[in-house]
Amino acid sequence: MSEIQSGFAVQKPVIEFKGVSKIYQTGTHALNDVNITINNGEFVFVVGSSGAGKSTFMKLIMREEKPNTGVINVNGFELTKMKHKQIPLLRRTMGIVFQDFRLIPNMNVFENVAFAMHVTGAESRDIRLQVTKALSLVGLGEKARSMPNQLSGGEQQRVGLARALVNNPGIIIADEPTGNVDPNMSYEIVSLLTEINRRGTTVLMVTHDHNLVRDFGHRVIMLDKGRIVADNVGGKIDEN
Amino acid sequence: MKISSMRYLTKEGLKNVWVNRLMTISSIGVLVACMVLIGLSVLLSMNVTKIIGNLEQQNVVMVFFDDYNAARYDINGRTAPEGAVLDENGICDQMYTVHNEDEAKAICYEIEGIENVASATYVSKEEALEIVKKNMSDKAEAAIDALEGDSNPLSSGARVTMTNLEDFDKTIESIKKINGVNTIQAQSDLADKITSIKNGIFIAGIAIISILLIISLIIVSNTIRVTMYNRKLEISIMKAVGATDSFIRIPFVVEGITIGIISAIFAEGILYCCYRVAAEAILSNAGNFSIIPFSSKAFLLLGIFVVIGVVAGTFGSVIMISKYLKREGSEFAAI
Repeated sequence: MSEIQSGFAVQKPVIEFKGVSKIYQTGTHALNDVNITINNGEFVFVVGSSGAGKSTFMKLIMREEKPNTGVINVNGFELTKMKHKQIPLLRRTMGIVFQDFRLIPNMNVFENVAFAMHVTGAESRDIRLQVTKALSLVGLGEKARSMPNQLSGGEQQRVGLARALVNNPGIIIADEPTGNVDPNMSYEIVSLLTEINRRGTTVLMVTHDHNLVRDFGHRVIMLDKGRIVADNVGGKIDEN
Repeated sequence: MKISSMRYLTKEGLKNVWVNRLMTISSIGVLVACMVLIGLSVLLSMNVTKIIGNLEQQNVVMVFFDDYNAARYDINGRTAPEGAVLDENGICDQMYTVHNEDEAKAICYEIEGIENVASATYVSKEEALEIVKKNMSDKAEAAIDALEGDSNPLSSGARVTMTNLEDFDKTIESIKKINGVNTIQAQSDLADKITSIKNGIFIAGIAIISILLIISLIIVSNTIRVTMYNRKLEISIMKAVGATDSFIRIPFVVEGITIGIISAIFAEGILYCCYRVAAEAILSNAGNFSIIPFSSKAFLLLGIFVVIGVVAGTFGSVIMISKYLKREGSEFAAI
């Protein structure tokens, strides 16, 4: 794996797409010859209209789908060659944030976050420690015993964020995390993601909100009809 | 898998039993009904086998020996050797095989040595006459009294019982081949009937138990399927955060097994009550007719129920979950 020296941090690719194409059985060309490299510590917005291939791009990273052609490397796993039973190991290296929060209604905030750690077989003592830390990081330390329906949309998404963070993943994949929250809360969530990114975690965020993209000024990958039509830094999305 | 994970997953499985309590109760209800029916089939089959066993013991074969009387009433079929001294009945020693009780008992031992013969008891000609007398009406009894002593026309012989009536004809053939055996009185038709009843009950029992086992499996699978759809969200999150298939499966298996074990305990209790009522009814109508006591089979039945419950619970949940995990691949797309 190539490593690029940039400043003090050693940058190495955590996500690599080489000549990746995906055609579904229905005949839909979801991605066409996509080549992209995302290095550790980057914050990347993925934008594009509906049907542009954003979901397929994310599904390929999570190894929910396999490409028809090309090679995908994520966190040291070569996804095209990996066995089915290795998929859980790959997914433990990333944290997922969903647009619809996906909190379990009959579990309180603490349990919802701890749930992601139980899956990895963590010890109860570690779970208590890590969950408390993750909840304080997202500012919900006081609401650990609250139920999801007692929280606002923004708070629920922050619980989702804590759940994604609790296993200390190398990458956070956020699928329109601001889609179901009000504009002010959207900024708060992206600020939080930026803070997490500043601590060294790579963040990949799908969004439709061009204002967020512009205001935060991170790298932007724009997809259209299954192709990357723009890959800019500094939140520029309209030039191409 | 780590102990802490197993503990967590077992707790989750047990929690599901309570969370889905309505479904759990209905599943337990149907499973209990299936188990009680299975238990009744087993007990019925055991009792019928016992009764048939008694009948088998009672289906006595009378073997008559080739003794003096046999020769006396078969005079035209036998020829005396040349120069032999004949008695007043025209019989000499060489004309028959069994001359005394010792020789007769020796044949009994020989018969007992044949495979499938349970017992061969010596019956003297006097005892044989007594048996005939017992089976006759009072008037005929007086006539038989006249046959006592030297007038007794019966031969000595053996009462033979068999272990298995299926080999009835084969055993009779083997007995016939023994030197000293003259005639055999056997109810071959009855033996055939008993054997076919026994086989019929065995096949019916297996068929009933198999059908009920399949029903039990379907019931548990169905409960697990409902639980699974209720927990679709949880499963999708589990997969997204890197849960292995077995991690997702275990709480469902725990739930299935718990339902199975609870059902087994209830089934045992209900079966005990049903059997007691049935046993009392049978005993009050059938006098000294003996049936297998429940207590002697209680552990066996509980064992059968627990095995059914655990097998149905494990397989029902594993089948359902595997089908679901294969089909539902999308964790990332909206559910």
